[in-house]
Amino acid sequence: MSTRHRSFRNLLNATAQYHCHCHEVGFNADEAHNIVKECIDGVLGGEDYDQNNINQWTANIVEQSLTHVVKLGKAYKYIVTCAVVQRSAYGFHTASLCFWDTTSDGTCTVRWENRTMNCIVSVFTIAIVL
Amino acid sequence: MMMSEIAKDRMARSVRKRGSVSSLNGREFWQKELHGNTKKNTVSFTDEPSQRDNASRLTVQMENTYQLGPTKHFPAVIVNHILKDVLTNYLQEEQYEPELCRQMTKTISEVIKTQVKDLMIPRYKLIVIVHIGQLKSQSILIGSRCLWDPKSDTFSSYVFRNSSLFALASVYAVYFE
Repeated sequence: MSTRHRSFRNLLNATAQYHCHCHEVGFNADEAHNIVKECIDGVLGGEDYDQNNINQWTANIVEQSLTHVVKLGKAYKYIVTCAVVQRSAYGFHTASLCFWDTTSDGTCTVRWENRTMNCIVSVFTIAIVL
Repeated sequence: MMMSEIAKDRMARSVRKRGSVSSLNGREFWQKELHGNTKKNTVSFTDEPSQRDNASRLTVQMENTYQLGPTKHFPAVIVNHILKDVLTNYLQEEQYEPELCRQMTKTISEVIKTQVKDLMIPRYKLIVIVHIGQLKSQSILIGSRCLWDPKSDTFSSYVFRNSSLFALASVYAVYFE
């Protein structure tokens, strides 16, 4: 009788913790900003623009950013975009517009540059309602 | 007689206050309505809907839809045509100019969003991204990865080029369960 009561209480506690986790509102942009910046530094830091490797680098940046952001453990769907431009005298514009729920969804954009290239990484997060 | 005039005066004042308020977020507007009805003279200020304010609101609890997936899927092909039409119409004869293209990215993304919304696909959240750049001998690579449910979520993109510029528009559609 007592063991059954204890296991039921454990189950209640487990579900209560689970629900508390879901009520964390909003997207923490600063955390994502740091994570993405570290990923870019790791892949592109100290490199010069190279036509042969740029494909590999973009893929690495996006995949690493995605895996690290997922490790935060929040219930989100993620979209990560990366644009790498060779540094030149020529112009480049980017705009993004989102139609979503502003209380639960968010975005974070990181701009990074070195001597030979500019890199813009955007992370969009859309909440999953569990 | 006097009391009713005072009451009428207060109602008129509160109505005027309501009328002058243009863009509030939902909660503050309803607070003003309540105060008007109970005939209290209140002074309330509006602030810009900020991230902080939104985060302090409790998450809205949605009722269970008992649906396993979207009833109407996102039509990627139709959206592709929309992107092609919008980009061609807006940029066919344009030359690259910094100020013009800066405005263009914003207007094009607005236009694409309204046109995709007009398709009336229910329960889909949209993200529209537009890149415009000068077409010269520099090199550029744009890539993206998504973590979502591939059965219900999808994306669509189109690249437009003319003699002096290139434009890439992408639309990501995420199903809201």
